[in-house]
Amino acid sequence: MGRLLWEAIERSTTGPIMAEEKFETELFPSVLSDLQSKYRIEWDPDEPAMIDPDLADAVFQAGKELLLEVGLYCKNTKRIVKFTQDEIEEAICSARHEVTLGQDRQAITLTPRAPGDAQHPYTFFPAGQLTTNVELYKNHALTVMQEPTCDGVIPIPLFAVGDIKNIADTPAQTLVCLTEARIMNEAATWAGKPGLFLGIPMSATTPLTLMSAFGSGLYHKNNCTLPVQILQDMRVDYDRFNLAFFAEQHGIEPWMSSSPTLYAYLTGPEQGAMEIIAHTLGMLAYSGGTLTQAMSVSVHGTYVGNDITWCNSAAALAAERNLGLPWLSFGMTGSPAGSMSDDSWYGTAIACINACISGMEGLWLAGGATGLEARFAGEIARAASRLSPKDGVEMIKKINRAEREPNPPPLPLDKLYDLKTLRPSAEFVDHYRRFTRIFRDMGLDYPTWDHG
Amino acid sequence: MATIADLRKLVGETKTDPAAEMTRVLLDAGLDPMEILEEGVMSGLNDVGNRFAAKKAIVLDLVRAGVTAKACIPLIEKAFPKGEGKRNDKKIVLGTMLSQHNIGKNLVGTLLSIGGFEVVDMGEKNSPWDFYEAAESSGADMIAVSVVFAPAMEKFTELLDLLKEMKVRDRYPVIVGGAVTSEKWAAQQGADGWGAQARDGVDLARNLLGVA
Repeated sequence: MGRLLWEAIERSTTGPIMAEEKFETELFPSVLSDLQSKYRIEWDPDEPAMIDPDLADAVFQAGKELLLEVGLYCKNTKRIVKFTQDEIEEAICSARHEVTLGQDRQAITLTPRAPGDAQHPYTFFPAGQLTTNVELYKNHALTVMQEPTCDGVIPIPLFAVGDIKNIADTPAQTLVCLTEARIMNEAATWAGKPGLFLGIPMSATTPLTLMSAFGSGLYHKNNCTLPVQILQDMRVDYDRFNLAFFAEQHGIEPWMSSSPTLYAYLTGPEQGAMEIIAHTLGMLAYSGGTLTQAMSVSVHGTYVGNDITWCNSAAALAAERNLGLPWLSFGMTGSPAGSMSDDSWYGTAIACINACISGMEGLWLAGGATGLEARFAGEIARAASRLSPKDGVEMIKKINRAEREPNPPPLPLDKLYDLKTLRPSAEFVDHYRRFTRIFRDMGLDYPTWDHG
Repeated sequence: MATIADLRKLVGETKTDPAAEMTRVLLDAGLDPMEILEEGVMSGLNDVGNRFAAKKAIVLDLVRAGVTAKACIPLIEKAFPKGEGKRNDKKIVLGTMLSQHNIGKNLVGTLLSIGGFEVVDMGEKNSPWDFYEAAESSGADMIAVSVVFAPAMEKFTELLDLLKEMKVRDRYPVIVGGAVTSEKWAAQQGADGWGAQARDGVDLARNLLGVA
């Protein structure tokens, strides 16, 4: 960061001016298409993950050239911020490769891991639930935090606190976000993990609330990160720069995040992976961050499928080989069909195995919003860590072919857990054990934290 | 010899200038403008939509197909009968909720005008309040809303709630259409009518406003 942030700000006032529509419909797609052809980056729809090191390097080079040629479009000034090759190399060379999250006995340090490394990807679980019921929200968080596989959490956004709705750009959102922070801290303490990593302030959608959340002291540099995520398809605005500067001034780790939308302006997962690399290098330049989250989504509304997992793995492997940043991807947060749907548990397993074989250092929002789902995600991430990429791909294909039982009706938390003791119901434990058996039968023979 | 199927193919391939030229040729050859519009332009647009649903096309292709359609539609509109002599006294407020899409909305507006209605075109990127205000200030008889992307669906529901809150819901029949909508969804929200195609808007308006 440092110099390059100021360069970016200066160039946002002097760079080439262009209508946003021309940028997104002409410049960006044509350069992207040319680079994809130049580097011959192609996805086989039968493949759920990208494990070819040469192709990963091609994705990285294409992503780097994408940033160099297209630059970042500044929405405030309608000008393009370009970086030189030397500047991008400077950002890469000065990047840090480790990050410590959480504090005291809960501190964990993410260090580079290659596909098949014994070190497992860390699992950061969703804490809370989409609800306006604060007590229910806290109970969900507690079931997750009490699990031994919980390396940290990502709060689920709160919609309201009592009658006060989460309304962006108002003190109401700040109040809701502070409530989120208070509950996360309390739940972590009650779970015996006061130094737990608490992710990012998820109830906040504006810089003002984000900064206020850190100003409160409830979220701080030792338990939380500050989102500086790039906007869709190579776009930035001054909010990104302000947040990056705020993070630097307060010693807070920036949360660099790229979430390309496939089939909007990107033709498929190949272009998605290229864009993630370009995004990451751009964020590296203006924020100097370390922790990187990259997940693709589809304009067709899904987080699953070979295209999604291939894109996530291609970008992760490209970054693992060429950047070495601590890298997270999406860990499949349950399913609308509920905590006991087969789709949800299989989806979690695919995300975990994909992370292992793609050289990721962690998964965010892994599993679902209950403790047993979290435990399962953590166990699979640990069990699959040593899988070779080839074996991992075969296992994902096997999972994709596995027969699913019909989804049972979604059950509320009080049917899945005894809320007085926070112990899972017998039915829920049976479901967990069934999946443990399924994955043992598939060849993942691993110890569990299931002690009867 | 050029055919409407050729035009459909050109629109489907988002070849803007050739499609516009083909439209001129077909009109000069005396083909029915409505058939050129529906079987050529709209079917070509649907082809792109179907490819998109199958992940064979992207949103950018939809945008480009829209640009192509916009190059053809004004040429066809000029060839439509003007509707003079059969005008009615009904006024319809028409606009796109939230987003900047306007192909379907413009087409509905054209067909309503041809059908003898007075159309107050609010354009794009409207809020629920914009619809309410336009209806009140223009003395409209009906509100027609184009809902083309998911966030606008919620806003449509807000519009119906707003009209109730302002105690004018009974005064304005509200119809809706657009890519993300369905008959079932429209009924669930309490809309007075839903149209799958542009010309449905005219039939709905005639029925709801009692125009023969």
